[in-house]
Order: sequence, then structure tokens, then C-alpha cells
Amino acid sequence: MTLGRSSYRTAIVGGGIVGLFTAYHLAKAGAGPILIVDRGFLSGGASGRNGGGVRQQWETRATVRLAREAVAVYRRFGREFGYNPWFRQSGYLFVAESSTELARLTTVHDLVRSEGLGSELLKPDAIAAKVPGIASGSLVGGTYLRSDGVLYPFPAIWGVYEAVRALGVEVAFGVDAVGVETKDGRVAGLRTSAGSVVTPTVVNAAGGWSGDFSRRAGLAVPNVATRHEILATESLKPFLDPMVVRVSDGLYFSQTVHGEIVGGLTIPHPSGTASGLPSSSEFLRRMARALVKLLPGLAGLGVLRAWSGFYDDTPDGLPVIGEDPRLPGFVHANGFGGHGFMLAPASSARVARAVLGEPTGLDPALFAPARFSAPGAAAAPERLQLG
Amino acid sequence: MGGPSTTKVRYRDRVVEVRPGETLLAALSRRGLPILERSARYRRPRGPFCGIGQCTGCLVRVNDRPLVRACRHNPADGDVVANESGWPSVRFDLFGAVDLLTPGGLDPFRGFRRPGFLVPLYQRVVRRLSGYGRYSVEVIPSAPGPVPIYRSTDIAIIGAGTSGRAAAERLVSLGARPLLLDRAPGSAAPDGAERIGNASVSMLTPPTPDGPREFSLLGFVENGGGFSVRARTVVVATGGYDGPLLFAGNDRPGVVTADLVLGLTPDQERSWFRRAALVGGGPRAREVLDRLGQKVAAVIAPGEVRPEVVRAASDLDIPIYPRSLILAAQGRKRIRRLELAARGQGPHFSLACDGVVLAHRRLPNSSLLFQGGVEMEWRAGTGAYYPTVEPAGRTSVPGLYAIGEVAGVGRADARASGERVADAIAPRSVTAAAPAEALPRVPRDGPSELEGYYRELLGERRSGRWVACRCEDVLLDDVERAHRAGYRGIEVLKRHTSLGAGLCQGRYCLPDALLLLAIREERPPSEVGYIRQRPPVYPTPLAALASLDPTGPAERP
Ligand SMILES: Cc1cc2nc3c(=O)[nH]c(=O)nc-3n(C[C@H](O)[C@H](O)[C@H](O)COP(=O)(O)OP(=O)(O)OC[C@H]3O[C@@H](n4cnc5c(N)ncnc54)[C@H](O)[C@@H]3O)c2cc1C
Ligand code: FES
Repeated sequence: MTLGRSSYRTAIVGGGIVGLFTAYHLAKAGAGPILIVDRGFLSGGASGRNGGGVRQQWETRATVRLAREAVAVYRRFGREFGYNPWFRQSGYLFVAESSTELARLTTVHDLVRSEGLGSELLKPDAIAAKVPGIASGSLVGGTYLRSDGVLYPFPAIWGVYEAVRALGVEVAFGVDAVGVETKDGRVAGLRTSAGSVVTPTVVNAAGGWSGDFSRRAGLAVPNVATRHEILATESLKPFLDPMVVRVSDGLYFSQTVHGEIVGGLTIPHPSGTASGLPSSSEFLRRMARALVKLLPGLAGLGVLRAWSGFYDDTPDGLPVIGEDPRLPGFVHANGFGGHGFMLAPASSARVARAVLGEPTGLDPALFAPARFSAPGAAAAPERLQLG
Repeated sequence: MGGPSTTKVRYRDRVVEVRPGETLLAALSRRGLPILERSARYRRPRGPFCGIGQCTGCLVRVNDRPLVRACRHNPADGDVVANESGWPSVRFDLFGAVDLLTPGGLDPFRGFRRPGFLVPLYQRVVRRLSGYGRYSVEVIPSAPGPVPIYRSTDIAIIGAGTSGRAAAERLVSLGARPLLLDRAPGSAAPDGAERIGNASVSMLTPPTPDGPREFSLLGFVENGGGFSVRARTVVVATGGYDGPLLFAGNDRPGVVTADLVLGLTPDQERSWFRRAALVGGGPRAREVLDRLGQKVAAVIAPGEVRPEVVRAASDLDIPIYPRSLILAAQGRKRIRRLELAARGQGPHFSLACDGVVLAHRRLPNSSLLFQGGVEMEWRAGTGAYYPTVEPAGRTSVPGLYAIGEVAGVGRADARASGERVADAIAPRSVTAAAPAEALPRVPRDGPSELEGYYRELLGERRSGRWVACRCEDVLLDDVERAHRAGYRGIEVLKRHTSLGAGLCQGRYCLPDALLLLAIREERPPSEVGYIRQRPPVYPTPLAALASLDPTGPAERP
């Protein structure tokens, strides 16, 4: 693999949904030449391994707003990008099994409503009406926002990929970014397994590996990769519309356009990227147990495949967007936890602004890389890290 | 045994008697090849294809349990059997119009985008059309639920075919007590060994340095609970299966594998075929010839035909067409005719037939090895990946062995391959020194016969449905289109077209797709990519998984 040029205006590490969308905004702004390097294959990272959930129910106003923007983007995605991601706005249903959980959801509900979104509080029988066959006995209630939904991630990736290529972005797969070159304390180039290139700007959109890459560039960051497992069943005719998320254990599942039940459940794994991405039999057993108990009608259905991917977690549950003050020219576009697919469209537009030296319009106390070295507690952490 | 009790099942509006030992498919199809299923995208009628519980050709609903493979189901008295697809019926499905109305194929990701306000409606329609089974809230999980099985053993052997049984027998004679697991209900284990029948191993987890020190095998018993087996040593003897072939209409009812033909009951054999075209010129074709005899209309081979096959066919006055391209199968609910051409731009001709039996390529049933992280190597002889093994069958994963056909060892050496591994792993070691010479295996190098065949075939003019992935109804055109749009490598192609995402886990499409990509991308198949196998390697019922202790008890007491 050889790269097309020896110098670029921007080099992006990571060809997942965040890197692709960032390149898209930059290329549209005429800020080429742009290079994306990815050591894997297209859709090989978390962007090709996620549950496709898009929700606007969050604990922080800033996240609600980013997600709301993303909903607008995915609604018109098919017309803009030529691929249909089958974004289905049939709601996210959070279910609570205790009054404490319900109180937490009610706070979210109030915030979401104050943003003009029509969140609803549901009683168990209303939940049962939305999820046929659910064993609602254990539930005390839940929240539901109809304009939330699910999409099929792959066509979204293909759409942005083809768009950036049409705009002249060079996308090089199988190329590992091994570090940055610096000169006078700022970024001067990117070192890759296919040679070094000159560039004043490097964007770290390496998803779960973003912490690794920042450290390769000599920057200490608090990003932690955590492995999360997920499965898909054999496909059924449509019977389930919303994405269902249980607060107690993070069980989530929805039905794809193709009919498969796709979902996951959080079980602890050692953090870091070193272990790779195996699947565990413990996950299969736990997930099956949880699903069958909540939806007994699924008992005879087969699990077709299971896989895992990395969340790129930050201490306060919010992404990291903007230039690193310790190394000018090094721009973060990472820390998206388990929600980067839905946050990518709006966030990448901000990343592109940061690259172009424009104000991002984001609260630095919440999103800027410098927030972790600032004294004092996090401004307002986002803790609704479920589903 | 009790008195003569008869098992009866209800299928649609009739009552079908099931004879002892018969599978549901055998009972439903005594009088001819059945159509039980419509395909996922184009609603094409589909008949049984693989015969060994891997494909999507005989999916039915049993007592409201979705997606039961009729060929694996042992019916119980009173079972209510229905089709999963087809409206008003599976034979006359009005949605079958989709097939006729979309001659250029149907791209679910590029289509249905405009106008914006109709997208939700499209979504409703497309959702209704896709999906294999039906959800039912009626299914009451049987109380107390399926019973899980836990075992802990020194040696587990997966697959009780020739090599697996040979290994078990030898191990017993050397004082070991192996555990045999097999998908077939099958006969008893050799004395001194234990056997779990009807058991599909769907996940293999090797020991880890800081985790468990033993292998863990996860799976399920047909119609039963899950099992969890711990073993210090695992021998994979999962054998092989007959591979697919690309031509127009290759998914039509009547196109079947040799595996299926060799497993037919006498009733089925009598009624399914009268004049079948037999594809292949090697030992597998010979087996089918011996079985079907005069019911073979012709022997057609992509390459050469071996002398013993020529002799057998000539004895029966059966015409032989070596080095022939199979271009198209005609007929809708049943094959009627095959369009053929002699290779090297020879003349086109056609052959009347009521079936096509694929016996041209044996593929290793290697999913567990892939999934378990074994180092694999490309072998051009069949055009497939096999584990890298030492002479006694040792793979790159310590404690994990592969023998017999899955390791590329020919049928004649299957026993020897089983005995060798037994000698190597028996606790009380044997006097015989480790064999230095490896058993002959599928050739690693040389031209791949099928690759050359496909190269020539792709040059031919094409019409009709060339089904590259039967489970998901992905067409050869879809694969070619993805290639033209710049998508490279098997992993990306899979995600882009959905090829390989179906219920057979890619067994009947990925091997051909690898060859096609190698041709189109002009690089060796080994560079086109590795097929990363995700667990479970067989669809595993949620109920079976849920029956197992979630934390995994210490299975060794
Ligand atoms: C199981 C699971 C379920 C999820 N569910 C949802 C959901 O429902 N909704 C949602 O919005 N989000 C979900 N997410 C999260 C979402 O998938 C991610 O946040 C998002 O895809 C991140 O996109 P990305 O482009 O930042 O990273 P990725 O898609 O991971 O892309 C990063 C890329 O960087 C490349 N790379 C890394 N290091 C280097 C290097 N040094 N050199 C070159 N290339 C490198 C990798 O190969 C990779 O392709 C889920 C994630 C997982 C794992
Ligand atoms: S043929 Fe079964 S997945 Fe493709």
C-alpha cells in the first residue's frame, strides 16, 4: 500500500463513521487534500459492530441537542448520500424495575420535554402494548420517545464513504498510524506503516483505539477502551418496533429492518484493547437468559451470531472534541462511548470546525480535551450510558 | 418398547403419519420433493438443498416454534407443522410476483429512498417482506425448561464420522474414556466412550493463560437444552460437506447436494428423482452414481471425469459430459432442463432432467476451527481453508487437534488419521513413535480447478438469477456491483451485500465468493481475506443457552 501524496492538509486516523463524517465536512468546505488512514477494513471498527440505536433521551442538555441534530441528518440521509440506512423512528423505550430507576428516568423525561421533544411516561400496561409478549410483571414503568429510533449502520457507512471518495478524499485501508511528527511543538506530519506524510493537522478518530493513538503521539489521555458484546438472532417478521432498554442491567434489544433481534447486555471485561475482540460464552448465556425471561416468546429462536466491539469511554461520559492544547494541530474526535454512531453526524461537523480554526460552538467545559486537566469536578457528567 | 404407537403430525390441512426413526422432512416428503419455504428477498420457491441441517431449504414452524429445520426435527405425536412463508400458501405465493417484477434485482440499500415522505411506508412494506419466521406470544416455554448438560472430560471428540469414531475406539483401547459429540442421533459410542447425540457444538473457547485451563465447548441438543463441556484436549473431526455451484437458477427446487441424496430414505429415493443430472467427476460423484443408478440422466463435470466414474457410468449407459459449463437451470417449482456448454467456447446444448445433484467439490466443515482461532491455510485443491496441522493432527492451538476430512485428509485415510491422533494424545502413551510422514491431504498448491471454471463462466453472457447466497437471496450481480463500486475484500463484501449473513452462516456462499473475488480483484484467494467465523457456528436456540448456568459452574467436580 502506498499513499497517493506526500503531503495533506488534514490526515484523519480512523475510517469509522466519525472519521468519514469529519472528512465529509472538511471536503465540503474545500479543505483538501484530505487523507484517511485505517489499519483495518471499511466498517471493521465499532461503526460496523453496533446496535444502530439513535436516541435523544439523555441526562445532559448538550447531548440531547447533538442527538437531535443527528436525528435530522439520518432522516434525510437517504436522499443526501444515496444509501438508505432504514432509519426507523419508532421510539426508544426505557423500562424501570424500581421506583429509584423510574425517578431517574423521570428526570430525563423532564429534561427531554424541556427541549421540545415529546417524551412520554408509560405505565406497565402501556409498555406491554408496545412490546407484544413482554413479561411486564417486573416493571414499574418507563419512558418512551417516539422520534428516537434505530438504523442499519452499514448503508450509512457506505453512503458517507462513497460521498467522501467522490469529493476527492483519499481513504487508505490496511494502513496503521504509528505516531505524529512534530516541529516547534506542533504537528508537522503523520507516521504510518505506509510511510510518513507531511500534514499540519492530525485528527484522532480512532474509536476504541483513540487512547492508544494519543499515547503513541505522546499525549496522556483518560480514554479507556471497554469491550462490549452483542448478538443477532435469526430473523422474524416484524413484531417489535421500539428499541427496548432496561435500566437495571443495560439489557437492550431492537428488531432490525431485516427482522433479526439485535441486542446486548453489559458484562464486565478487562479494559484496554490488548485482549482483542473475542466473544464469551458467558455473554451468550446471560443475554439469552435475560431475553427469554423478558420476552418468553423468543425462547425457540436461534442466536445467529455474536460479536463484540470497543466502547471508547471517558470519565464523564462525554466525547472529546477539539484541538489538544498540549500539541497544536492534534485534534480529538473521540470518546464517544457506546453512542458514537448517533452522535457522529453532529459532532463531526464540530470537529471539522475545530480543524478549520473556527469556533465549534460547544461548551469547552463539557467537550474540550483540556477539561480533564482542569481542576475541580466534571461540569455535568453524562451517566445514561445504556443501550 | 411399548405397543405399536403411531406418531402423527398435522401439516397444513392433512395428518401425516411418521414412521419410527423418520425425521419430519422424511415424513412430509415420502411422495416427492416438497416445497416448504420461500426465499428471503425474491420469494422464490425453495426445496430442501443440503440434507444435513445447514441450509434454509426446509424451515417450518412446529407448534409455533419458528424456524425449525424439518430435516433435523424428530417429530412428536401431535406436532402441528406449518410453513413460515408464502401467502396464501407456500406453493402459490402472491408475493412471488416480486421475483418476476424485479428482473434487474433489488437493492435494499440503494432503493426506497425517495420521496422522503414515503420512506416510512416503504419501511413497513420491506419489513413485512423480510424476516424468515413469525413471532408468537403463544410459545410458552416448557416448565421446568430444557435440561442443561454439563460434562467435564479429558478428551472430547467433535464428530463421530469415520475419523472421530476411529479415534474414540483407539483411545478406549488405550485406556482413555473420551466423550463423543455428534449432530447425528446416531448409534452408540464404542464401549467405554460416552456419546452425546443430536448435539451441535456451536462455540469453542480455547484455554487462556490467565483464564480457564481447559477448552470450553458450548452447544445444544436438538429440541433440548444447552450443554457445556470442559475438556483438556479437543479433537475436531467435523468432516466435510458438498459445496455449492453458481449458475442461473441454481436455487431451484431439485438442485441438491450429494449429502442430501446419500441421506434419502428409500421412499424419498423412489419418489424424488427420475432423471437427475449429476455434477462432478470424482469419488463423490461415484457414490451418488452407485446410489441413484439409472436415475442419473447424465454425468456432467466442471473438469475431468475420473476413469472409475467413466466406467461406472458407461456400465449404466449414462452419458458423460466432462469439462462442461453449467449455465442455467430451467423450471420454476422444479428443475426441467439444464443449459450447458462445452468448455473452451464449445457448443451450447441442453439436457432434460428433474434434478441436479452437486457432487463436484467437498468442503471442510471448518467453522469451529476458524472460530476457535486455529491457524488456517489455503489449499488450492478444493479451494478452501484447512487447519495447519502436524502429522498427528495437532493444530496451532495447543491441545486442539483436527483429523479426517476437516483437516483435508482423504476418505481412505480417515481411520488412520483418527488412530494417529489417539496415539498422540492417549494418557498412557503408546510405544509407537510419532509418525513422521504426514497422511496425504488435499493439495496445497497448483491450479484450483474451480477457479479456472469460474473464470471461464464469468466470461459467458448471463441472464436469470445467479444466486450467490441462497439464505439471503444475494445475486452474483450484487457481488459484481459491489466490486465495481470499489468495495474490496471478503469482509467488506459480506457486509455490503449481506452475502453470508444467513442461517447457514455462509457455508453455502462464502467459498464461492472467495473464488469470485480472487478472480475479480486479481489476487490470490488468501489475500481476499479470511472468513472470520463468529460464534455460534450453528444457530443456537435462546432457550438452550438460557438453560445453562450463566456464570458457568465448575464443570469438573
Ligand atoms: C456493541 C456496541 C454497540 C453499540 N451500539 C451503539 C448504538 O446503538 N448507537 C450508537 O450510536 N452507537 C453505538 N455504539 C458505539 C458506536 O459504534 C461507536 O461509538 C462509533 O461507531 C464510533 O465510531 P468511530 O468512527 O469513532 O470508531 P470506529 O468505527 O471504531 O473506527 C475507528 C477506526 O480507527 C481505526 N484505527 C484505530 N487505530 C488506528 C491506527 N493507529 N491507525 C489506523 N487506523 C486506526 C480502526 O481500524 C477503526 O476502523 C456501539 C458500540 C458497540 C461496540
Ligand atoms: S448461503 Fe447461507 S448465508 Fe449465504
